[in-house]
Amino acid sequence: MLEILINAVTLGSLYLLFALGMSVAWGTIGILNFAHGSTFMFSAMVAYFVVQTVALPMWAMVLLGAAVGTVLSVLTQALVFNLILRRNPDLLKAEMQIVVGGIGTASVLLAIAQHYTKSVPFGFSASTFKVATYQLGPVHISNVQLVILVAALGLAGLAAWWLKSARAGLALRAIGVNPEVASLMGVDRSRMALGTMAAAGALAGIAGVLLTYYLGSIAAETGDSFLISAFAAIILGGIGSVAGVVTGSMILALAETLVVTQLSGTWASAVAFGLIFVVLLFLPRGIFGRKEVRRT
Amino acid sequence: MIGWYEANLVLIEATFLNFLLALSIQVPLRLGVFSFAGVGSYGLGAYTAAILTLRYDVPAFVAIGAAVLLAAVVGYLFSLLVARLNGLYLAMATIAFVLIIAVLATNGGELTGGANGLYGALSDLTTGGVVAVCVVVAVLLALTERGPLRRRIEAVREDPELSLSMGIGVVPMRQMAFAVSGALGACAGAMNALLRTTVSPEEINFHLIVLALTMVIIGGSRSWIGAFIGSVIFTWLPSVLASAGRWQDVVYGVIIILAAIFMPTGLLGLVQTLYQKLRGRRSAAVTAEAPADDTAEERALLQALGGESRGGVQ
Repeated sequence: MLEILINAVTLGSLYLLFALGMSVAWGTIGILNFAHGSTFMFSAMVAYFVVQTVALPMWAMVLLGAAVGTVLSVLTQALVFNLILRRNPDLLKAEMQIVVGGIGTASVLLAIAQHYTKSVPFGFSASTFKVATYQLGPVHISNVQLVILVAALGLAGLAAWWLKSARAGLALRAIGVNPEVASLMGVDRSRMALGTMAAAGALAGIAGVLLTYYLGSIAAETGDSFLISAFAAIILGGIGSVAGVVTGSMILALAETLVVTQLSGTWASAVAFGLIFVVLLFLPRGIFGRKEVRRT
Repeated sequence: MIGWYEANLVLIEATFLNFLLALSIQVPLRLGVFSFAGVGSYGLGAYTAAILTLRYDVPAFVAIGAAVLLAAVVGYLFSLLVARLNGLYLAMATIAFVLIIAVLATNGGELTGGANGLYGALSDLTTGGVVAVCVVVAVLLALTERGPLRRRIEAVREDPELSLSMGIGVVPMRQMAFAVSGALGACAGAMNALLRTTVSPEEINFHLIVLALTMVIIGGSRSWIGAFIGSVIFTWLPSVLASAGRWQDVVYGVIIILAAIFMPTGLLGLVQTLYQKLRGRRSAAVTAEAPADDTAEERALLQALGGESRGGVQ
């Protein structure tokens, strides 16, 4: 039972790393990035091609993934979302265009990845990192799981502290409440948006590399299934809240793991999504969601 | 011409089926409701029609009719369930609905054929029948795009609170949208299952949701013509791009991105804006029309709100 719990928390931490940036970007600058899953997968793929030529240690791979994720995310923001918003300044009306722009970006990245990996799963067996398992009291835990747990909880804590206490975090939250007033108060919206997307991309890259270490290998299509799970976790917890993403990711991972181990694999997504459905019926804004103040 | 028609019959049929699928997303969207439940109804309709045809050997119109009715009822009941949700929270709940339908189909045992799906649902549905259904649907939807009904729909989309205070039944209209969306999705699914004689759970996935949404947004989300444009583009684009060789998927994605950036009101909106600009230039000498930098959407809204609001402002 403890093993199941450890596995569930590891999966939840990966969901958390992936969904954190997406949730903050969505809750503050109002951008729901559908290319987040492809950014995540693409970062892992670039790291894979680098490790084929140079045998890198794990920390270098994680940094590389973060760097690639940052670059991709910033490019998506500058070349797609920014152009959409400039032509269509009303965020509510631009929402659908942003979703579709993200879908287009995702299919470009997916097509490139499928072409270079020939749709074959890839892994980091060439890395210098070796998986080891430790015995902690009654449970077995691998070093990959430890890294994932520490990275996810550390980064989520950092993000929560930064949003709450730092001056820039306050500015970002102000954009989330009212973009126009925030600009009038001297908040540079486009710079904050670029910074948020960069951080979100870095988190996606880290999640991609760590997932590949954890599972052994991932495929170009893995990003899509992660995107749906992350979307579910964010909605479950409440958009834009760090505590919400942590809760949503853990609940989702626990539910999926329990169903897969106790029932059968084919029911996993039904139970996970049934759960979201039920939670939304009772808490229409997610567990930690704040009441929307904007009209219509 | 006959040769081309026969060679591309599958794509021609797919265009009309995609048109109905796109409409099942567009109808709620016109009321400002982000619901993808129509894609779930697509699966529901496909399985209902296939099961009825396989087990009871009913004629096509009975199978499709039963599927449409069932999905409309399910859509209505679903709308009661999600009445408190809106925006992207509603979108997530409807995505969950779609994926749950797919899982139910996978685990349905003998009734749904499990992961393999159902085979051999031979029926008497013809391409002509599909086109006839699409024409009827298009005519009915065109009727909702004119007169008082169109004004009510636009008012509900732009400002639900205001519409409520003006005496428009926002809640019944939304419930109606869910039922219509379910009927349209089921119609597309049922006809697809009967034309292809097979249905499998893999067809009902996230990609179908993405395809339906993309067709509506790129084509134009305000009119059935937009949905038709979108379905023509996205049914034929892959085969047109086949000439681009191995980079066709990249080109496909780039086209979607460019459309999202440069056509905020969809292809239909772009055409309307250009047409109005041309007409505006011709009539500019006679009357000072609305400023040229007004978007087509704003102008349409101004028109929809009627003379009184324009009079009130001036």
